[in-house]
Amino acid sequence: MSHLLSVDPGSTLAYHTGDWRIQRPVYHNKWPPCGQTCPAGEDIQAYLALINDQQWEAAWHQLTQANPLPAVMGRICYHPCELGCNRKHLDSAVNIHAVERYLGDLALQRGWCHQPLSTQQQTQQVAVIGAGPAGLSCAFQLARRGYPVTIFDAQAAPGGTMYNAIPEYRLPKSVLSQEIAAILALGIQLRLNTRVGLDVSVEALREEFSAIFVAIGAQQPRIYRDDKHPTQHSVMTGLDFLRRVNQGEMASLPKQVAVVGGGNTAMDAARCARRLGAEKVTVICPQQPHGHHHGQAGTEIPASAQEVAEAEADGVVILYRHGVRRLVRSGEHLSGLELAQVDQVHDRHGRFNPKLFDGTETFLPADRVIFAIGQEVDCNGLDALLQPEVPGVWMGGDAAGKPRNVATAVGSGHQVAASMIAFLGNTTSFDEHHQKAEITFKDLNINYYPKLTRREAVSENQVLGFQTSVPSLSTDDALFEAGRCLSCGVCFECDNCWHFCPDAAVIKHAEKYSIDYDYCKGCGICAQECPCGHIDMIRD
Amino acid sequence: MDKRDTFRPNVLTSGHRACSGCGEAMAARMVTDLIGPNAIYVNATGCLQVFTTHNQQSAWQAPWIHSVFANAAAVASGVEAALRARGDPTPVVVQAGDGGTFDIGLQCLSGMIERGHDVLFVCYDNEAYMNTGVQRSSSTPHGARTTTSPPGRLSQGKHHFKKDVLSIIAAHHMPYAATATVAYFPDLKAKVEKALSMQGLRFLQVLSPCPLGWDHEAALSVSVSRLAVETGLFPLVELEYGSVTGVMRLAQQRPVEDYLKVQGRFKHLFNSKEGAVEVRHLQALADRRIQHYGLLDTPTEWDTLRATQVQRHGRGGYPVMGEDTVQ
Repeated sequence: MSHLLSVDPGSTLAYHTGDWRIQRPVYHNKWPPCGQTCPAGEDIQAYLALINDQQWEAAWHQLTQANPLPAVMGRICYHPCELGCNRKHLDSAVNIHAVERYLGDLALQRGWCHQPLSTQQQTQQVAVIGAGPAGLSCAFQLARRGYPVTIFDAQAAPGGTMYNAIPEYRLPKSVLSQEIAAILALGIQLRLNTRVGLDVSVEALREEFSAIFVAIGAQQPRIYRDDKHPTQHSVMTGLDFLRRVNQGEMASLPKQVAVVGGGNTAMDAARCARRLGAEKVTVICPQQPHGHHHGQAGTEIPASAQEVAEAEADGVVILYRHGVRRLVRSGEHLSGLELAQVDQVHDRHGRFNPKLFDGTETFLPADRVIFAIGQEVDCNGLDALLQPEVPGVWMGGDAAGKPRNVATAVGSGHQVAASMIAFLGNTTSFDEHHQKAEITFKDLNINYYPKLTRREAVSENQVLGFQTSVPSLSTDDALFEAGRCLSCGVCFECDNCWHFCPDAAVIKHAEKYSIDYDYCKGCGICAQECPCGHIDMIRD
Repeated sequence: MDKRDTFRPNVLTSGHRACSGCGEAMAARMVTDLIGPNAIYVNATGCLQVFTTHNQQSAWQAPWIHSVFANAAAVASGVEAALRARGDPTPVVVQAGDGGTFDIGLQCLSGMIERGHDVLFVCYDNEAYMNTGVQRSSSTPHGARTTTSPPGRLSQGKHHFKKDVLSIIAAHHMPYAATATVAYFPDLKAKVEKALSMQGLRFLQVLSPCPLGWDHEAALSVSVSRLAVETGLFPLVELEYGSVTGVMRLAQQRPVEDYLKVQGRFKHLFNSKEGAVEVRHLQALADRRIQHYGLLDTPTEWDTLRATQVQRHGRGGYPVMGEDTVQ
């Protein structure tokens, strides 16, 4: 009986209050909406966190795991990540694209190099057809995993559409060529001026290479059929126009230019036309302006809202809900377009087929018409490769379908590289992150995030010219924007769970926390007070 | 000895019998970890004493003594006098609930302040006698349901107002009296550290939500404590020798309904006309407190937003003792 009368008390540590629990907290990383919406699959939250810690080079390595073209993408991507950003419900989205551009530029300035992931050299050769964003992305992923890659491109310079069709003021050639050089430095062979099916036969290719990636883009512009004048006098396609602008072949334009189409190519063409001296540039598109879709998909202008706003700022007039009835000519001379108002953009089968209202015809004077009404894939000479029974051949990028933009192409190249490696090595794919849970704004505890005004990049160049006009952030602003990241679903060690646990059941370690389930009573305060929704309560 | 955590001493360690989500256990762990294990803790009767010392087990990893409900301040006075006689600088800390401070312990507390003992008195205010089954205390707010102030045909919960004990204490013309709550750890930390740096009697009133007595979800203890501050019902202030020397400004005042609606003890106010009057009454009481302490217009940078802002890579915030100094 003596132990009952002992004056020396025991510790309550002997009593495991974890028995009381009916639910338990677990730490669980989520996949934030920025990363989910990024077509290139960038882990945006991860590199913003590293920037926040001023680990700039580590941030660049994190970013380039998914996208080896940050300086390019920071300039030209239409940044769906910012539409996904949860911060937009609090004040405004994190200025992700400007931070990405800042980081990309910093890498070029400091000459950071891509690091190979493995030292083991593979023997199976891979061919990539097309040195555009998809091809480069795929080659990059393969090369850093030790595969010997050869890229074939029909043009004299690598970059594909990024080189051809994106004007200098949006993407300076020097930036593009530097980022491409950094990718090629991984030991990728580049064979320019080589058209597969013409300069190299498909059979020779299949003999030499174990896997082939067809990333030929959509380089064939759709042509408006004006039956009477097959010479297409005073009429050109958007892609051809941009190509010639980029090569410096277009010196000047007449005063009145009409651009037909509502995509990003149309916006680029219209803005270039303004820069080449056209005084009145009109874009004719059958769709509604942004924000007027009335619940129907595909009825809004397909160009990104930012592109439209920038075009309008350049003085381009956009004529919504109008279509072209015919070209008005006097002999061969083009005097303008006959337009009519559009009823519906799609027919009853859901196909793009704008229907024009009779009796609404108007005349738009124009000295030059640029048709940017879509592009098609030119598979000429590759038919033998693109048979369903041919193994070891992938197609990606713009050539594989819509949406056709650089970010999607980079993501497509990455995915192809993953499945190629699985195919070549007979293993499972390395592409894994979409298994993580999503996280929405209501999963966050916004009490812990003060409102902070988004910092915009300031443009110094106000003149309408071909010098780059995409503004850049200062170092302070880039740090500030990275610091605005809410870190949705990813722990940033704020200590809340540890401070607030009434039972001292959360243990703090050097860079993480653990939960002592012997004592956790499952009250749920840690999950409730976690700012970023990193903690889940699950039934015990 | 619990050495699981290298970032704090866990003076109040795990295995105690507090209810799930207990605000008082949270508050006591924060305060005692900020003070550290090298202090003598005197505990009045109350939840804290009951749930930390059970069946010959103690959750305290520091010298700790319990006597009776009324006399914690008197015991602390004796401990402090003995230490002073021996020239021992060990700090003496009293921990009591609102019963042991506002009601039963007030006389001994007043005597201790009057005699000027060098003691830190911490009151964990959960606004009723929770340990014995939620009876009203003089700290229970107006309109709240307790088992001894039940709402019904003739009553809208407690009729009387919460006693302004802080003003009573400060009226003793003593060095430091402050309020704090669990939702704002940086604020609580600053106040404990300030109190420890001072001589004489220091008083800290820490609002500690009680999921059982206040009838809210266990997970909401911190949120409720934050709302008490943001609505102005529980102002966070500091008084030195009777004068207000610091307030935490409200970045934005929230309506009292936000605070009342999450708690079952105020539920009856939302289903009758008489209840609606009391909600407006509580709003008026909050407005009066905001006006009295200047919670909206004091020119201070220390506001509810700054005190909640979280930082990447938290660094703990507790003084961590080396192995040799931990007893």
